[in-house]
Amino acid sequence: MIVTLLFAAFFLMMLVGVPIGAALGLAGAAAIGLANADSQWFGLLAVPQNFYAGLGKYPLLAIPMFVLVGSIFDRSGVALRLVNFAIAMVGRGPGMLPVVVVAVAMLMGGISGSGPATAAAVGGVMIAAMTRSGYPPAFSAGVVGAAASIDILIPPSIAFIVYSVLVPGVSVPAIFAAGMLPGLLVGLALMVPAVWLSRKYHFGQQEALLPKPPFWASLREASWGLAAPVLILGGMRAGWFTPTEAAVVAVFYGLFVGMVIYRSIRVRDLFHILRESGELSAIILLVVALAGIFAYSLSTLGIVDPLTQAIVNSGLGEYGVLALLILMLTVVGMFLDGISIFLIFVPLLLPIVNFYHWDPVWFGVLLTLMVALGQFTPPIAVNLMVTCRIAGVRMEETVRWVIWLLAALFCVLLLVIIFPSIALWLPTRLGY
Amino acid sequence: MRTLHLSGSGVHFLFVMHLPHEPTHLPIDVPDPAAQDEVTVVPLKIEDWLTVIVMGLLALITFLNVLVRYFTDQSFAWTEEFSVFLMIVLALVAGSASVARNRQIRIEFFADSGSPARQRRLARFGALMVALLFAMLAALSTRMVYDDFQYGETSPGIGIPQWWYSMWLPILSCAIALRALGLFIRRGRRA
Repeated sequence: MIVTLLFAAFFLMMLVGVPIGAALGLAGAAAIGLANADSQWFGLLAVPQNFYAGLGKYPLLAIPMFVLVGSIFDRSGVALRLVNFAIAMVGRGPGMLPVVVVAVAMLMGGISGSGPATAAAVGGVMIAAMTRSGYPPAFSAGVVGAAASIDILIPPSIAFIVYSVLVPGVSVPAIFAAGMLPGLLVGLALMVPAVWLSRKYHFGQQEALLPKPPFWASLREASWGLAAPVLILGGMRAGWFTPTEAAVVAVFYGLFVGMVIYRSIRVRDLFHILRESGELSAIILLVVALAGIFAYSLSTLGIVDPLTQAIVNSGLGEYGVLALLILMLTVVGMFLDGISIFLIFVPLLLPIVNFYHWDPVWFGVLLTLMVALGQFTPPIAVNLMVTCRIAGVRMEETVRWVIWLLAALFCVLLLVIIFPSIALWLPTRLGY
Repeated sequence: MRTLHLSGSGVHFLFVMHLPHEPTHLPIDVPDPAAQDEVTVVPLKIEDWLTVIVMGLLALITFLNVLVRYFTDQSFAWTEEFSVFLMIVLALVAGSASVARNRQIRIEFFADSGSPARQRRLARFGALMVALLFAMLAALSTRMVYDDFQYGETSPGIGIPQWWYSMWLPILSCAIALRALGLFIRRGRRA
């Protein structure tokens, strides 16, 4: 009864637009109070304790630092230079700009690690350029929205950091490494329908007439941006830095590039950069802390076990349950961002993972793929909302293009389910 | 031709707070963030400056930690405790500004559709729930701080009284609750 009430109140509040954190915190506190009606203060002293404990974790410090990295690199003009270099590399021709979009989104994901941020950064540069080259805006919006969803897969991903804090035994470097190959695979998979559709409908005919940037000059310009993921990921691999330290090194590297090399960041921009990234981090961290209260209430009410039992005994079998999860998380991914989904669902799903002896690292990658799928599924997808706004199209117009890109991502999802080693090979190889 | 001018105006494309579900904050041109900021009675500059200082400190301390470790083979463990404390302060202080600006992560699909009256009602309801939560947190955490104080708890890392850290939770929770109330009032006025 309490449980039904808890979930009903929680979902209702979320749907009417109460901030996710507040819905989690209030529902959690109500459940704790109802379950401990006889104790002193209704056991509610656990609320601030869990809030404080949920936040006071050193690994979480990586979140504000990576948000800061993203903010600095978004401002530094790296994206534009990466676009130039990518064009110099793949050349000009019908269907080449979509390839560039996907490649640049992947590289930006290797720097900043937040999804809709990349949608805005890449979309701001590319959608206008694609329109001038003869791609319909709806198509461009779809491609950019899909490409940006790779971001939560390619390290450093903030959603992965949250996952590793939630799941015991999953280290940040391990899950980062696990996301690498599936992320690249998704990138390649998205390029296929993007190029095929462009060729089929003769998009981008004017593209071949545009000048091609000189290869070496654009490589030199882009090399500062290209070095960033190497620094972040290589530094962690070599054992020089922890993830938090890698982020902070990238912060100062990005500031050096932006202020000294490209001269696109001025000293007084620092205030805005620090304020914006601080506020964005706080928004994420508050949800993390308040989800701690919710998770505690789930464990005191003891509903996770019966729920797990009901699911594993439902006769669906291992793959039936997996299919159900894909369906559910894709739908949830349409409404919510990856971090909130992890915070709400990982505590509920972990016992199922343990029951079937699924590898938690593999499951983390799978979960992220499902969320990525939701992030550009019309009609309410997060990333598409951003790119449609930039392109000035309605989301319904993108459906006929996006459907192919969704199919491509879904294929990768199936591959990772059938061959878990796509995700697990690299972390095993690197010895995490 | 050395660079292609893809976006026309150069490199300062689009960067605003782009959290999911915040399409209203995604203009095509880079706006002056101050221009469309929420107008509050208590200036948001307070939180903004604190955010900038704490964020800068966090980056500097962590960076110095890396340098010191590499050049002297020592690590100062006490920074870890202090950094975690700063992060909690950041979450609450910058969180307070984000509440006043109504930038929390939320599902906008239903809340931002329908008649303006309905949108306003739902926005006020959301603000009220945030105020309720943080007022409760402030009250309950006062008791937690009192316990820390009464039993003389000390922090595990540096060994200073725990209440020096925990006292900020009720104080800043109060601030957030008041910011949420302010938002509730402002959204009511805009009729």
